Amino acid sequence: MENEQLTVQRAIQGDESAMRALWTRHAPHLDVVVRRLVGRDPDLAADIAQEVWIQIFRALPSFRGDAQFGTWAHRIAVNRTLNALRRTRRLAAVEVDVEDDSASVEPEAERAILAASIEEAAAKLSPGARTVFLLHDVEGYTHEEIAAQLGITAGGSKSQLFKARAKLRLLLAHLIDAPSAALRNTNAEHAAPLY
Amino acid sequence: MRNMQHLSTDRLAALGDEQPTPDEAAHLASCDACTRERGAYRSLVAMAHAEQGAIGLPLTRWDELAGVYRAEVPAPGQSSPSVVAPDVVDIAVRRRASRWPMQAAAGLLLLAGGAMLGRASAGSTLLPAGNVAAVASNTPIGMPTDQAVSDSLFTSVADARAAQQRYELLYQQAAAFLAQHDSTGLGQGNPVAYRSRLAALDRVISTTRDAMRDAPHDPVINGYYLTTLSQREATLRQLNTALPASLRLDSY
Repeated sequence: MENEQLTVQRAIQGDESAMRALWTRHAPHLDVVVRRLVGRDPDLAADIAQEVWIQIFRALPSFRGDAQFGTWAHRIAVNRTLNALRRTRRLAAVEVDVEDDSASVEPEAERAILAASIEEAAAKLSPGARTVFLLHDVEGYTHEEIAAQLGITAGGSKSQLFKARAKLRLLLAHLIDAPSAALRNTNAEHAAPLY
Repeated sequence: MRNMQHLSTDRLAALGDEQPTPDEAAHLASCDACTRERGAYRSLVAMAHAEQGAIGLPLTRWDELAGVYRAEVPAPGQSSPSVVAPDVVDIAVRRRASRWPMQAAAGLLLLAGGAMLGRASAGSTLLPAGNVAAVASNTPIGMPTDQAVSDSLFTSVADARAAQQRYELLYQQAAAFLAQHDSTGLGQGNPVAYRSRLAALDRVISTTRDAMRDAPHDPVINGYYLTTLSQREATLRQLNTALPASLRLDSY
């Protein structure tokens, strides 16, 4: 396969097959980024993912090759998704609740016992805590970068992250803790072994 | 600092990816509870890092994307975007109307994953020997299919590793799907078989957890660990369907 830099160059010149090659290679990952940040609205995620790719193609001439194309496109995906969420006012909720510690978990999550995956558990967090957790622990952003993106302080970002981790640690206890410990705890609540 | 109070929840959460201060390190050296909690947060952070390489079902379709792009940026020599794509009107509405094929594709993707899983569990090879071209031509939806990409599947170690992580996730999703929908599996309806598998998986998890402590960022170890956890969850669900309602587990 040709060097990706050459594919990018061909895409910049308007070669649609090159654009398609970039989309084919990178869409599976970028779509996940968009879906994670948007949360439970698949239609909105699909609309935003399309916007992301149009923005990537428009911005291709500004791609200088300093970073990998995937890294550059990933940044566009995050920025565009956060902008879109801001446009739909969902990010306004993020910025408000990031400053409000008591809102770090949505009320119904308190009643939930366990989650099957990180994605499911993160969905139980408030928009602010979820966004900070996803940007930092999954996407690898620094607190300073998150603060700039969300219009909050780096300290606020840290505070939300730690609260998000604490809630996720409880929601995912069955996945995180040793099975033997889980067995002891569960057996204490049941007369007979579970299996 | 053996008499130091237990570390706060916030601090333990921070130590998921930060280094402890000297005082905290001294306390951790003598406090099993805080050490265990710190280990739990490190596992959580490792799980989150592992999510980064994940892929999911596609949100975009090339034909729609190309249509929108052509409408906005006409090709050289074409005078007006509307000439290029006169039918691109309210693409979002049209796209919503056409989402059912994507949902069908999602089902096919999971079925494809399930078929691969079934072949693997039956002891047969997943693919005909050496037939990489066939792999490319039968690639699941959402994975590379065009000629430029499929001529050679991988360009680097990082590329191959990313693909490995994608398929691990696909495998986990397929396992979850099969646990919920497959009624043909070996041991179906037999709680003893599921209990035996659960016990074996717990031993595997215990071993891989030990390995995770030694190499928390090793992608191979993380992959085994997460896959085993996924299989355990799937088995637990299957066991639940096999047990009488009065004995079913709400959580474990």
